[in-house]
Amino acid sequence: MRKRQWTYLLLFFLFLFFLSTGCAHRRAASSQAVPENMDRDQNRQMTTAEAEQIPSDPDMEDNDDEGFFEDEFEEEAIKVADPLSPWNRAMFHFNDKLYFWALKPLARGYKAITPNFIRTGVKNFFRNITTPIRLVNCILQAKGNAAAVEFSRFVVNTTIGVLGFGSPADKYPKLASPDAEDLGQTFGNYGLGNGFYLVWPILGPSTLRDSIGRAGDFFLDPVSYVSPAEASIGIRAFDTVNNTSFRIGDYESLKKSAIDPYTALRDVYLQVREKKIKE
Amino acid sequence: MKRLLYSVFIFLVMTQTVGADETDVTKQLLRNKVEAAISVLQKEDIDQQEKNKQIIEIVTPLFDFQLMAKLSLGRKYWPGLTQEERQRFTELFTRRLQESYLDKLRLYTDEKVVFKTSVKEKRKIKIPTELISKNNTISMLYKFHELTNSWLIYDIEVQGVSIISTYRSQFDHILSNGTIDDLLIKLEQPEQPKNK
Repeated sequence: MRKRQWTYLLLFFLFLFFLSTGCAHRRAASSQAVPENMDRDQNRQMTTAEAEQIPSDPDMEDNDDEGFFEDEFEEEAIKVADPLSPWNRAMFHFNDKLYFWALKPLARGYKAITPNFIRTGVKNFFRNITTPIRLVNCILQAKGNAAAVEFSRFVVNTTIGVLGFGSPADKYPKLASPDAEDLGQTFGNYGLGNGFYLVWPILGPSTLRDSIGRAGDFFLDPVSYVSPAEASIGIRAFDTVNNTSFRIGDYESLKKSAIDPYTALRDVYLQVREKKIKE
Repeated sequence: MKRLLYSVFIFLVMTQTVGADETDVTKQLLRNKVEAAISVLQKEDIDQQEKNKQIIEIVTPLFDFQLMAKLSLGRKYWPGLTQEERQRFTELFTRRLQESYLDKLRLYTDEKVVFKTSVKEKRKIKIPTELISKNNTISMLYKFHELTNSWLIYDIEVQGVSIISTYRSQFDHILSNGTIDDLLIKLEQPEQPKNK
């Protein structure tokens, strides 16, 4: 027992260590910004020089505009270290194959034989039972209003909605579903950085911070307490297939429009998370 | 005195409409184009290829592909390109963007498109829309900027993900490990090779 406690303590310190390195990386990035700025200035000088030489160059006409927009995208750009890139790429390919060879055909077959209202009901059900995750994280982020809405939705949907298969709360604008919170977002809200990018087999893209968040949320998810473990895994798999049946085509579209799918998916994940944390 | 008040009132009302005008006109324009594109999408008597061609013809005037190409490479890479490289890149990237936009429309537009209140920030107009299908609602934000009296799209956010940002990081990744030729070759390939 004692030994176990030590392991937890060790893990905790490891966690802190990683987070601090994450912060260090961020700081390093901001100090790097100085030479980058210089670089940019050089570019700018070059641009103006060119503009002077060739005043009719249409590309340089809206020099001012260019600067105006660049700022928007530079602010938006989220840089996260990817030290485990070889592992991440391997896992990306694994998940890619998993999707095309297993998940997609399964979800397709399931969609073909399952009436729409059942699929929606299942989706609602899983959304309803995972209320604890969102509720606790609303509270942790001091989002009182959202927490109240989550709680009311849970009560309404569990009773009138018959165990959450229906979602009558959606009919009330006041009870409109708030943005789904999770522990990773809570950490982000507290100011913790992403750490580094991390792709898990099956679970998909994540970062160090979000992975730890996910592990924490695991304990708030009622499905985790189903025993035996096989049953719990089975339920999760079913949830995943059901969810995927609504989203066939999303991943394909992303991959098709990408030039480097791995980088594209990473960037999309980071953008989505960043946005969610800000909300 | 009364007359003065009236004229002040009328003046205020007029300036008000002038202020709102640009945003409304742009929104109306976007609405017309998107709705036209969707009606093409729903036609049953023509094949997919013809549909794509027609939709691209309809929506292309809305986009500032030149700027989008420039933004996707950014200040870091764009100035270093020769005139030919820029042209070639813009051409290929435009095709990529058109296909990608078409794909998104096709994928998410089953039922209707809702145009929400647009926001004007300095010299930009942002028009949030929602693509509503049976089971999903996908948000699509059109970002416009002004170019010689007309408003053109320079970026689209799908579910909060900026298309230009995503391309920026991909191009940055490719260019920091390779040359512009590598990028052009990759852009030319319709499909990503399986092993990469």
